[in-house]
Amino acid sequence: MLNGFMKKFSGKKSSKETAKKRLQFALVYDKLEINEMTLESLQKDIIEVISKYFEIDTKSLQLEVQRERDHELSALVFNTPILCVKKNKAYNAQKI
Amino acid sequence: MEGKIIVVTSGKGGVGKTTATASIGAALALEGNRVAVIDMDIGLRNLDIVLGLENRIVFNIVDVVNKRCNLSQALIRDRRIENLFLVPASQSDNKDVLTTLGVQRLAKQLKSEFNYVIMDSPAGIEKGFENSVVAADEAIVVCTPDVSSIKDADRVIGLLYARSITPRLIVNRIIPEMVVRGDMLSHEDVMDILSIDLLGLVPMDDQVVISTNTGVPLVMQNQSLAGQAFRRIAKRINGETDLPIQVPTMKTGIWSKITQKLGLTK
Repeated sequence: MLNGFMKKFSGKKSSKETAKKRLQFALVYDKLEINEMTLESLQKDIIEVISKYFEIDTKSLQLEVQRERDHELSALVFNTPILCVKKNKAYNAQKI
Repeated sequence: MEGKIIVVTSGKGGVGKTTATASIGAALALEGNRVAVIDMDIGLRNLDIVLGLENRIVFNIVDVVNKRCNLSQALIRDRRIENLFLVPASQSDNKDVLTTLGVQRLAKQLKSEFNYVIMDSPAGIEKGFENSVVAADEAIVVCTPDVSSIKDADRVIGLLYARSITPRLIVNRIIPEMVVRGDMLSHEDVMDILSIDLLGLVPMDDQVVISTNTGVPLVMQNQSLAGQAFRRIAKRINGETDLPIQVPTMKTGIWSKITQKLGLTK
């Protein structure tokens, strides 16, 4: 009981949260056999491309690999809030 | 009779496969089924000792598969629980001595004589695992709420899916106090990660050690929380599919605190 309170006040993450994160990470990467570096450079490239067309909040974006047990497939999920569309880029693209 | 073959597996060792097999087998027999529990851990047999039947072994599964004896000669009848039978593993051979074909042949015979055949798979994902799952109709994956066990369970679940078996999960050795404190993955967390159907939740229980010490099946000890959990699991397997899954909780009452301190209860 006291332990729980101490933890709440100290603002430390519970060890099970760490366990869950590590596990989810380990399971996805075991299966795909890609490492964090690959994912980081992929994220960088994606940001580069998207930034051509949208103004995005690079701080709050998320890139993750989600697993679907039944289909034995993994999905790449890229989540980012769009701040605004870059007008002339979109126009140029249309023209081409 | 056309029985069901259920394999109990986990990937990782020491998570409670043998205890689960013995308990579920005994509980299914108490429910009135004819049950055979099969020790597939060739070379490291333990199911016989957990069930307290180690003194009665004459023949074992390798003898049956290799036709050195009949199935009926190798079956050990439990004298305490009616309709519970054990086929022990061999202690001297290694896991490669059985062939999948031989196991399939034996499985067919077992299915015709029993309502439920529970196979206790060895740890690992090699030949012993292969032999245990080759004839299985259903699979139970046992894991504990720790990272290595869950990681191995995930691997095994993948292998079972590849064989078109949809396994169900038992989370064993849950310590409610630690879950509340945030220091142990809850069963919801485990389900999140493994995304398979839950069959039951079993709390950590001193009675498991006592039960293996004495060789008296856990489900025969009425005060055992783990034993009760396994009895509910057996009921669920036996068709009571809407029996709710009980989440192990902390004992918070002042009386239980006092009795705990005095060592009267666990």
